[in-house]
Amino acid sequence: MTQESDDDIIREMLPAFLEEANEQSDALEQLMLELEADPGNQALLGALFRCAHTIKGSAGVFGLDRVVGFTHHVETLLDLMREGTIVLTPELSTLLLQSNDVIRMLVQGVHDDQIVAPQDLVLRLQQAAHMAPHSDTGQQDGSAKSVIEVFANSTTTGSVSWRVEVRFGVDTFRHGIDPLTLIAYVRSLGHIPDIVCDTPSVPTLDAIDPESCHLGLVFTLDTEASLEEITDAFKFAREDCELIITPERVHAASDAPPATQASQAAAPAARHQRTGATGGATGAGDDGGFIRVQADRLDDVINLLGELVIAGSGASALARQTQQRALMEANRHVTRLIEGIRNSTLKLRMVPIGDTFARFRRVVRDTAAELGKEVSLEIVGGETELDKAMVERIADPLMHLVRNALDHGLETAAQRQAAGKGPQGKLTLSACHEAGNVLIRIMDDGRGVQRDKVLQRAWDRGLITRGAVPSDAEILNLIFAPGFSTAEQVTNLSGRGVGMDVVRSNVEALRGSVTIASDTGQGSCIEIRLPLTLAIIDGFLVGVGQSKFILPLDSVAEVIANRSTEATFDSHGRSYFELRGQFLPLVNLRTLYALDAPPPKLSSVVVVRAGAHRYGVLVDALLGQHQTVIKPLGLMLRSLRGVSGSSILGTGEVALIFDTTSLGQLAANPQAMPSPPKLSVGATSPIDTPHLSERHP
Amino acid sequence: MQAPHALPDELTIFTASEWLPQCQAWLRASAEEAEVCEVLAVDAQAVVEIDAAGLQLLLSLSNSLEKAGRRLDLLSPSPVLSDACCALGAASLLCRPDTKEAA
Repeated sequence: MTQESDDDIIREMLPAFLEEANEQSDALEQLMLELEADPGNQALLGALFRCAHTIKGSAGVFGLDRVVGFTHHVETLLDLMREGTIVLTPELSTLLLQSNDVIRMLVQGVHDDQIVAPQDLVLRLQQAAHMAPHSDTGQQDGSAKSVIEVFANSTTTGSVSWRVEVRFGVDTFRHGIDPLTLIAYVRSLGHIPDIVCDTPSVPTLDAIDPESCHLGLVFTLDTEASLEEITDAFKFAREDCELIITPERVHAASDAPPATQASQAAAPAARHQRTGATGGATGAGDDGGFIRVQADRLDDVINLLGELVIAGSGASALARQTQQRALMEANRHVTRLIEGIRNSTLKLRMVPIGDTFARFRRVVRDTAAELGKEVSLEIVGGETELDKAMVERIADPLMHLVRNALDHGLETAAQRQAAGKGPQGKLTLSACHEAGNVLIRIMDDGRGVQRDKVLQRAWDRGLITRGAVPSDAEILNLIFAPGFSTAEQVTNLSGRGVGMDVVRSNVEALRGSVTIASDTGQGSCIEIRLPLTLAIIDGFLVGVGQSKFILPLDSVAEVIANRSTEATFDSHGRSYFELRGQFLPLVNLRTLYALDAPPPKLSSVVVVRAGAHRYGVLVDALLGQHQTVIKPLGLMLRSLRGVSGSSILGTGEVALIFDTTSLGQLAANPQAMPSPPKLSVGATSPIDTPHLSERHP
Repeated sequence: MQAPHALPDELTIFTASEWLPQCQAWLRASAEEAEVCEVLAVDAQAVVEIDAAGLQLLLSLSNSLEKAGRRLDLLSPSPVLSDACCALGAASLLCRPDTKEAA
């Protein structure tokens, strides 16, 4: 019975192990790359060793001998590096990164007996660790025994007395962990002269759940093992174990380990390291406690919340009609609360983009090496948060852009020096929040886009009429045209002509936009703007005739209310108006969407900001702020330009939500400057100082 | 003294729930004969398999008895049980507080 149950538990816990092993493997890679920049960093070396050690230890519990056997070699090497016996070289770094790939492969292939570690890599690892290949060949030792050996081997200081206080979480037994076995294991690290169980904390029979754990222990541990090794022993007690280890005294006269109090909820070390990887320094921090929640449960909540927001605004509208003050006040309170819940709930889905960025370190390193270029990667604003779904879906386009920059943008060292630049190219990935959007930039200081080549290619490919010379900005935008590639030499990285157009369509599918700026010889900058979330936005409700439209509130720069309309519009509803001495495009929704209602005497202009551009939208009525739950457009409306979605108002009416970028393109009319603008605008409350000098592309 | 109660051979997480009612029954029984005896004697020689959950159940029984002014007396504990008690710092389960009887 016990055997069967063990198997069941192992089968149940295996997915969690796989996930954790992958996290550890990711952390290992990031730490490795950080170590390259800072080879002597003991904190990084320690963290690296722990990653490998954790993978090996957990794999041992699950009897995954191939993972254990291979990771053992990596661990040995890392241990020697930690001790300072071996110094990191670029070759060693590559070897360890390749080994990490193999670990990942072995972990993913736990069910497939065919997947084994390449023997040559094992040999190279052994050679690197100065081990004779015949003395310790391959895939043997796997169990906890070898872990113990490692502990015994890796002692560098004398015996220390530690006072260990551990309180097991209620689910300890259910997680298949037996504190008795765990203590037996800890005992193997050294000597436990005294141990006391906190017996009074065990509930009486009328209150106890016999399958919950209520045990707390205090003991002294005399051991030569390091603090990390002691902490590692409790790793499998996982999240729900409180562990406090304090040094009591040092027995041997050797230098003592850093005698600090290590208090942590013994959670997987990977999380600390993952945050550390993006933030810079690694160190023991408090995990704060994580709960893993299935994404679809969260989506259910967000969907319900969407309905609640709609129902809430319906109730508010009704309350206003009754003109009962108390009811209106109560409704306002409810609305505020809903807003609070909305914000908190959406935050649950927010993750920092840094983890995604950090993945590119390896890509940049390997790709640059393959192309024979020297490239340094700088990551800025990794803590910027955006919706998890968005992060997942932006990773591929980013990958392509990064490879593109490495392949086409950055030059080789010789080319750079010939151009009077430093030999090392620089690639910067940055993210920041900007007006309700996330702005991601991929910048390089390479050769920039060669406009003549782009133009030539566009002619050759028939993308534009041969001989036509569009504006600079338009030439740059040709890069995003389908079937475009300028690579003189098609490499296996990019340059197959599938890419930039796919990048653009992927970004646009996320209601985002992508633009490129480039100075010949100075480098390029690609900007991706993404909305923070796909679910709900703060909207600004406007009316034209009977129709209602919503502009994202963050994009509304200012409003010019109740002006008499004298501008003449072309057949597409386009015109220009003057705002404090600047001409901005103006779009008339009535003409653009052929709305029937007669125009009122007075209209308002909403000045909208889309990226670096601004334009005006002429509307009949300003209806104020509105919490907008975004619903996708039906098939029939999907081709409607300028609109990104729809929303249901509290009254049951449908309002279309503008996509400010594409509406801006509709508003701009670079070909024909219309007759002098008639709608002159006086003093308004400026929200930003206009600095518009560009022509709209 | 003849032990009216005996521990099973397996006291683990897999049997703890089954044994909880038994322990509760012992507790009730001992309450009824409180005047007769303030010690609940349990034969512990059969235990061949025990884990922390099993030990916790014994601690719970002991605490319940103590709350009622009585105590648990494990008679001839098996080596497995003794080792487990010592290992988890619960050796107090094994001791017979003779002082109390003297008082």
